[in-house]
Amino acid sequence: MDISEQLNLSTPITEEEVEPYLELTTELEQKRRSQGRIILDRFLRNRVAVGGAVFLIFLFLLCFVGPYLWKIDPNSIDVSSVTSTLSPPSLVHPLGTDTVGRDTLARIMAGGQVSLLVGITSMLMAILLGIGIGALAGFYGGMIDNILMRFTDVVLSIPLYLLLFVLSASFTDGSPKSVIILIAIFGWTYAARLVRGEFLALKEREFIAASRTIGAKDFRLMFRHILPNAAGPIIVNATLLTGTNIILESVLSYFGFGIKIPFASWGNMIADGQSIFALDGWLVLWPALAIFFTVLCLNLVGDGLRDALDPYMTER
Amino acid sequence: MGENLLEVQDLKTYFKVKAGRVRAVDGVSFAVKPGEKVGVVGESGCGKSVTALSIMRLLPQPAGEYAGGSVLFNDQDLLDLPEKEMRKIRGGKIGMIFQDPMTCLNPTMTIGKQIGEALRIHLKLSKDEALKRAVSLLEQVGIPAAAERVNSYPHQFSGGMRQRVMIAIALACNPKLLIADEPTTALDVTVQAQILELINGVCTEFGTAVILITHDLGVVAGVTDRVVVMYAGKIVETAPTDELFANPRHPYTLGLLASVPRLDEQRHAQLKTIEGAPPNLINPPTGCPFMPRCAFARAICRTMPPLDPIGENSNHYKACWVDVTDPKEQAYAEKRRQARNERMLAVIKESALQTLEEK
Repeated sequence: MDISEQLNLSTPITEEEVEPYLELTTELEQKRRSQGRIILDRFLRNRVAVGGAVFLIFLFLLCFVGPYLWKIDPNSIDVSSVTSTLSPPSLVHPLGTDTVGRDTLARIMAGGQVSLLVGITSMLMAILLGIGIGALAGFYGGMIDNILMRFTDVVLSIPLYLLLFVLSASFTDGSPKSVIILIAIFGWTYAARLVRGEFLALKEREFIAASRTIGAKDFRLMFRHILPNAAGPIIVNATLLTGTNIILESVLSYFGFGIKIPFASWGNMIADGQSIFALDGWLVLWPALAIFFTVLCLNLVGDGLRDALDPYMTER
Repeated sequence: MGENLLEVQDLKTYFKVKAGRVRAVDGVSFAVKPGEKVGVVGESGCGKSVTALSIMRLLPQPAGEYAGGSVLFNDQDLLDLPEKEMRKIRGGKIGMIFQDPMTCLNPTMTIGKQIGEALRIHLKLSKDEALKRAVSLLEQVGIPAAAERVNSYPHQFSGGMRQRVMIAIALACNPKLLIADEPTTALDVTVQAQILELINGVCTEFGTAVILITHDLGVVAGVTDRVVVMYAGKIVETAPTDELFANPRHPYTLGLLASVPRLDEQRHAQLKTIEGAPPNLINPPTGCPFMPRCAFARAICRTMPPLDPIGENSNHYKACWVDVTDPKEQAYAEKRRQARNERMLAVIKESALQTLEEK
């Protein structure tokens, strides 16, 4: 048999066969997932971080939805009987009661609301301050950088707890609002340094030069182009800072400088329970566990985010 | 005046460094007419890119300084303009494309937004209008399924595609002048031609003038009307493209043309180079900067030759004392070149022998 017949040389190539290859340049078809999706996938692969996130969600639900289901008033006093004060965990009071018969579960929820609120809002304020100061310092450099960063160094060099004790003793009224502001005013320093570093590196990148060539103003360069590229480290820092601020609030409240009665917080619950620790250990245990697990989980989530947001982790 | 869109006059751009001042651009003058395509060629570090950045007034601060000269754009000196006015020129009147499209797009912004940005800054378009314009621009630069792809991020594009996006951004506001700084250097050979063709086509269509900066003479040959050859921060030769390739008059241009590798050359033949490297621009030699590497050099080259037309009414200028078309000069240069080669061979032999002896 003729070899050309075997090879089917007579049938011409059809248009359909050629057409897919006529495209001007090849596209990278497989990467159609959005960047957010890629990050989420990477985060979900980290079991420990997901565990932390699940616990945090549970905690949020407990503190903010729980009170609608568990309708005991955290401030209602019940001294009607011996069994209603300082009772160990039971069906009526799953976490027990304190010296004046208040339900510990209800107080954990109320205290959690305050502690989480303080942690998160003070983190937001501190991060915003840090971004503003760090962005200006990193973007403009020179004199502005020097002044702002030396100011940051000064704030960092003051012993934080001592300063907070003194200031909160004289300036706060024991309400969550005053404590939030106080913590935020001194919590921005690490964020500012971090943001400055990111800005210093990113402003030299070519796409910033390219944006300049289309006439973008400094403000646009800073907050539309550079800041989103620095979002990863800032988010990680924000997560860790929330944990730090919760601890800070608890410490202040424990020493009686932070949140004061009638507001419950995990910190002043520990302080309350400590005096009768020998009599009833439960009172210290519950808020301590709550703080411990919250901060631990925040840190785990922060670590998970750090890995997920790291642009150099190329595996998809 | 008047007929020129851009007129660079005796531009001097220096950089302050510890050791002194780097004369990156040292007295460069050239002009670009509306719609004209001008190529700027030269080796790495001879001031091409700095010239471009000087026109845009985007020199790295605080090291860069304008030591003199002027950049007239529509009879307006860009070097005197306040920063606010200058921002209107950038992107609005002059667009720019960079070398590496992989790093020039913001990875966190969709390309539609990045194209729309210039429109929103200069033409004050709304978000929707800008996005619509972005889609039509993407179509114009040959990106298929533009309506879908405006919402993609840069990492979803290949290198050639990203350079197309860069072109769309640069041309978004229909500028009068496009500065393309080595637009094809980072691309595959197969894509290079497409991109050049695109720049050429789109700019002809819009009537945009182009300054094409490159070290690749092939790129210049295909696209430009006129070529400026730069060396060590100075212009050494300028002529209409065809004239320059047919009739190069500066030894440096000769060298550049000779060093283009050719596919039809005998295999394993030695590739031609220009020996040596460009001079240190901190203390450049007085006189012709090319003298130390030039086979035609002589005593008079210790003074800098002026950039003069090669004949009456010619638009071909060169800055060289020697007439390189003279056979006598060529013979002299050939002799010097051979002598230099022999000297070099001798040095190589000697060092080879030395290493053998040491063993």
